[in-house]
Amino acid sequence: MSEFVTYLVTGIALGSSFALIGSGFVVVHRVTRVVNFAQGSLAVLGAMLSASLLAGRLPHVVGEAVTVLVCGVVGVLVGVIAIGRRGTPPLISLIVTLGVSMLFSAAIIWLWGQDPVSPPGLDGFATVFGAEVERQRLLVLVVTLVAFAALSLFFSRTYVGKALTASASNPYAARLVGIDVRRMGLVAFGLSGILGGLAGVLLAPSNALSFYSDLPMALGGFAAAVFGGLVSPLRTLVGGLGLGVAGQLTAGYLNGSYQTEVALLLMLVIMIARSRSFAHEEAK
Amino acid sequence: MLHISDLVVRYGSAVALDGVSLDVGRGEMVALVGPNGAGKSTLINTISGLLKPASGSVAVEGTVAQVPEGRQMFPDMSVEDNLLLGGWSIRNRQLDEVFDLLPDLAGMRRRKAGRLSGGQQQMVAIGRALMARPDLLAIDELSLGLAPIVVDELAEHLRYLNSERGTAVLLVEQEVTLAFDLCARACVLEAGRVVVTGPSAELAESDAVHKAYFGDLAELAEVEALR
Amino acid sequence: MIAHVLSRVMSRPQPRTVLVVLAGVAACVAPLVLPDLTFFMRMVLAAIVVTGLSILMGYSGQASLGQGAFVAAGALTVAVGTTKLELPPLVALLLAPLVAAAFAALVGVPLLRLHGHYLAFGTLALLLMVQAAMGTFDVLGGAFGISGIPPLGVGNRVFVGQLPYVYLALGCLGLVLLLSHRTVHSRFGRGIQALAGSQTAAESAGVPANRSKVTIFALSAGYAGLAGGLSAFFTPYISPDSFPALESFTYVIMAVVGGLGTIWGGVVGAVVVSVLLQVLNTLSSQPGLPPTAAPIMQYATYGVLLILALLFMPRGIVPTVDAGVGRLLERQRVGVAG
Repeated sequence: MSEFVTYLVTGIALGSSFALIGSGFVVVHRVTRVVNFAQGSLAVLGAMLSASLLAGRLPHVVGEAVTVLVCGVVGVLVGVIAIGRRGTPPLISLIVTLGVSMLFSAAIIWLWGQDPVSPPGLDGFATVFGAEVERQRLLVLVVTLVAFAALSLFFSRTYVGKALTASASNPYAARLVGIDVRRMGLVAFGLSGILGGLAGVLLAPSNALSFYSDLPMALGGFAAAVFGGLVSPLRTLVGGLGLGVAGQLTAGYLNGSYQTEVALLLMLVIMIARSRSFAHEEAK
Repeated sequence: MLHISDLVVRYGSAVALDGVSLDVGRGEMVALVGPNGAGKSTLINTISGLLKPASGSVAVEGTVAQVPEGRQMFPDMSVEDNLLLGGWSIRNRQLDEVFDLLPDLAGMRRRKAGRLSGGQQQMVAIGRALMARPDLLAIDELSLGLAPIVVDELAEHLRYLNSERGTAVLLVEQEVTLAFDLCARACVLEAGRVVVTGPSAELAESDAVHKAYFGDLAELAEVEALR
Repeated sequence: MIAHVLSRVMSRPQPRTVLVVLAGVAACVAPLVLPDLTFFMRMVLAAIVVTGLSILMGYSGQASLGQGAFVAAGALTVAVGTTKLELPPLVALLLAPLVAAAFAALVGVPLLRLHGHYLAFGTLALLLMVQAAMGTFDVLGGAFGISGIPPLGVGNRVFVGQLPYVYLALGCLGLVLLLSHRTVHSRFGRGIQALAGSQTAAESAGVPANRSKVTIFALSAGYAGLAGGLSAFFTPYISPDSFPALESFTYVIMAVVGGLGTIWGGVVGAVVVSVLLQVLNTLSSQPGLPPTAAPIMQYATYGVLLILALLFMPRGIVPTVDAGVGRLLERQRVGVAG
């Protein structure tokens, strides 16, 4: 039983990062119809930057907060490259963000080297249902839930959030009332930077990240986002957590490190299942 | 307060508006009629700033707000949020002003815009445009898909707005009778050009409107009648 | 056929035909002169893969970020076929593109109904799963990969050394280019081009959208599988590390740089990017530069190439040069007439 709880908690912590990255995909896709391949790179940046800032320069919470804000700004820059040029079709923007993720890799190797990095986190253990779990992992879950709640409030209660939702649901009408849909797109990219950076900051203390971690992070996040149909942050959260837990359970009970593969397989299955419902809609 | 001069607008290589000139004075109600594809929506969208002219000018003394064709709600958002977003470009947003002008909206402020009836949505669309305190209300197809009794009520609201607030109205409308009834002046558009402008009463009698809508069919009918 | 080509060249030397002939001659001579055949072979194989990818991306507007999955499928067909199933090498090579195409069709039917990014990530997921499967199941190589792939040949007459494989690869490239030319200029090809323009318009004109997209996807996978099969014979060893994700991304870069939706874009892209990378490699291994200089420059170049090409020369080299030359010729013609 305690083994199960450990796998569950570890899986939830990992899945939280997928969920955060996935919600970054969702926010950007809803407003711009673009899938931001560099989403994983933002997580790695978050990990690297927080490690540097926390290494004796800034205290906890401040260091993480600064990191996340910087990632937000970098996210906006990614957006400028991806959608800055008028009339870039979404699929081209996807490949442009692939190029951006490569620039990220180059920059990360240049600034931080090729070795995996693990910033200091919350030390110590806590007891949950009779099992000893790292407090860092519990922290990840709590912060993720708070982040999702904040995101939901942002979209429903703040004026900018409402403008973002409007741009996503009816860009024509949004333009009519004077909303600059492209600028909203950049806001979405900034938001996704914050979410991605947060994912990296939360995950890295337990799972060290390096310049090549951007690919599995992006794939895990995309898998979570696919579960939410690339539109629903709540379903993305569920999907991410489910993916993380499923991966850990297979790693624990079935032996071997099939986590990414399980996530990918589930993602493919969901996409294929979704295609059938797509066909149904077309048949109507 | 709206001066359009020799406006030319293109869609790629096709010419949608070919040298259109039109004036709307302060507090005037002007109807814009014509067959499908005449360029009426194009004209409205250019006035709203959504389309850029290839040549010619659009000069506005004041603010323009559009009530778009098909209502164009933000369906998953509440009526209140839809209205609030209408005030995006102004500083001092006042929902109460709009609720005073269109009291029915206050009653449905919490409902999701996507769940409302066509007539209710049209009222929300008008309210949303009014949030910007416009000097000119540009309405694209007021009556499309709505029952006559609903349209009458909306027309009443427009008359009230025009007489009480002095809001000018440029009304694109397929229903020619409604358009002439509501607006003192009318402009007939066909194939991107202005065919004729003048008082609605006169235009209602003339051939110009018939020709614009039915073209050769009108002459065919005359020939048929002679047989 | 050679006479036909020669007569066309001599009567009205069109710049394009001249270029093609020159390139063909250079390609045939190069293997005899170059010291490093591995680089040349990899370039030719990349050209085969990217020709298919270019058509896929250019005509059906779909991106495949994991084309390596189909290269791997072809390579596995050859490796498993010859070492475990005791198939004759030639049969295994002929099966490679077919297996890859079938694999693509299986995945493509559901995925191509969705937006482009689903296929992009789907193929990437497929690649990683193929890699994982190769590492897990012993029949696919397990921890050690598959080695001991026999040389290609028929009966007792087998290929000796690298040269025969290089010429075979060049021959396959020519075949692939010819097939692409035929496909693009056929009725099917015109239907695909209509799809690239507007799906609704094409469908109302009777073009079966989904089936056409799957066909193009399978065709591009077939090309990749052929390249995979050839590479399995060339380096007679395959392992999961033979098909890294970065390689698949490189294919996309080559396709974009060369020109999406063109027949020669694959060749041009493969040559340009390969040569550029080789130059960078030499530069970054100069003494005085840190060891991380190589990957930094490589990634930075990939990123910059991709971004600049897509944003500023979105049609790629081939169409841009075509258009430029076209304008030049127009001016000459007008000059002569006037």
